Amino acid sequence: MKTVIETRDLVRKFGEIVAVDGIDLSVSEGEVFGFLGPNGAGKSTAIRMLTTLLHPTSGEIYVSGFNVVTEAADVRKVIGVALQDAAIDPLMTANELIRLQAVLHGISRSEAKKKGGELLERVGLSGAAARRVSTYSGGMRRRLDLALSLIHEPRILFLDEPTTGLDPTSREALWDEVKRLNTELGTTVFLTTQYLEEADQLAHKIAIIDAGRIVRQGIPKELKENISSPTLRVDVEELDLIRAQDVLDSFGDRRPAREGRAAVGLDGGATRLAEVIRALDEAGISVEHLELDAPSLDDVFADATGRRLEGVEEGNE
Amino acid sequence: MTTQTFSKAASGVSLSIAMAVCRRGVLRVLSRPTLLLPIVFMPVIMLISFTGAFGSLTRIEGYGSENIYDWMAPYVALQGSVFAGVFGSASTAEDFETGFFDRLLLTPGSRSSILLGTVLVSAIRSLFPTVGVVVVALLGGLNLSGGLPAILLLAAASALMASVFCLFSLAIVYRFKTIRSLMIVQLVAFTSFFMTIGQVPLEFMTGWLHQVARFNPTTNVLRFARQGFLDGITWDLTWPGIVVFAAANIVGSVLAFRSLRRIGS
Repeated sequence: MKTVIETRDLVRKFGEIVAVDGIDLSVSEGEVFGFLGPNGAGKSTAIRMLTTLLHPTSGEIYVSGFNVVTEAADVRKVIGVALQDAAIDPLMTANELIRLQAVLHGISRSEAKKKGGELLERVGLSGAAARRVSTYSGGMRRRLDLALSLIHEPRILFLDEPTTGLDPTSREALWDEVKRLNTELGTTVFLTTQYLEEADQLAHKIAIIDAGRIVRQGIPKELKENISSPTLRVDVEELDLIRAQDVLDSFGDRRPAREGRAAVGLDGGATRLAEVIRALDEAGISVEHLELDAPSLDDVFADATGRRLEGVEEGNE
Repeated sequence: MTTQTFSKAASGVSLSIAMAVCRRGVLRVLSRPTLLLPIVFMPVIMLISFTGAFGSLTRIEGYGSENIYDWMAPYVALQGSVFAGVFGSASTAEDFETGFFDRLLLTPGSRSSILLGTVLVSAIRSLFPTVGVVVVALLGGLNLSGGLPAILLLAAASALMASVFCLFSLAIVYRFKTIRSLMIVQLVAFTSFFMTIGQVPLEFMTGWLHQVARFNPTTNVLRFARQGFLDGITWDLTWPGIVVFAAANIVGSVLAFRSLRRIGS
């Protein structure tokens, strides 16, 4: 697959603060790339550099083959960008914004009208197109922002924390649209997020950034597989607990579990589940409840940084 | 790595982008008319207060006009246009604070188009205080011997003055990205206007103020704008004003464009 986004030893400093510290990224054409990290990790700084809004202190960035510093105008022709907080003028209507965005990208008035209408229809804003944006909900603003970023049919779409602050329904609607853009139109999507589920749902490949550095990069499934085996938790009667743990220990490393429960890192994963149940049955242990949790991206993040990402307070970077 | 073939870089001004930015500015004003209040209200209040305070000066021989409105109206109209220019850049500061300016920066077209569009909005806005001042001055007894040409000349002067102060303000806003940073421009504007022949003729001034007002470029601007209000329209009073406007707009454009190009660096 062709590489459409590439960074080499990318660094950005603000005075003494190093916001992005030597990152190397490679995104292939048609890929959804998730840039995952907590607030302040350097995600927004990185995406601002990738989209020509911020110059790197050092290092190189190529988007669609163009150097973002020396060929910025060419980069802007092939990218669509929806930045954090959906920066939309609240005094304007969706129709006016579509028209402005179209002019900014050199699209004729008639084409803008046609394409704008289609985009607003697709994101479910046709009925509100003549209303001022100040009357929109957060979800509607995000959808409008997405529509605006697509007016010139970009081959690469950058989304900076596209669902932060959205309710679950709006979040899923936006995910569906991103998936559709990727699968139906082949748009390459680079999205930053602090949500594990979002990265899991959308991204073919992810990079985890922490304190300006990439700490893990790869396919989510492989990253999770590399980190550890899934955790098997078994509830049994209290009298059988020690024996149950002994049985489980033969299938992998013992894992911490709450009181009254035995747990193991199951080597081989779900394929060995039947084997475990048979072993417990043969030992005469009656299983009350059993659950198998696959390793999550949070486990990957924790393994790389020693901290958990899940449950981190929402907010802007 | 895939490579597409495009022009190496956007160059030149795209009038369509400039007009789109300008249109947005006008739409914002129309959708929030209260934005116009400060730039119209202030000059009108100044007109009322200055004509009241200095009205009796017209009885002194050599004051320059027998009608205080003829003397003061162009002066306060120009001051209103300075407000319009600074307010134009304040909208840009607001765009920085809300993030909307990023959307404009992401256009593949030349960034100078964004600059031109913003200046055009300011020039258009300057017409509101000018019209407001002329209307109130007419009600107060403005003589206006020069008729429509005098008003058109004043409107041109106001638009050019607004563009000058918009450009200088933008040079600062593009760098500091806040409305607060505009305080320094307002200070310069007030200083340049009060140390000139705004309130009294040059002959009425003495000492250092006389010298400052004599060489203050704003004096030539005022002489340019007062044509048709005090005397006839002459080339002798026109060309020095044109030179000041041209020089100030060129310097302002260079400074603003340099600041604009440095955004993100």
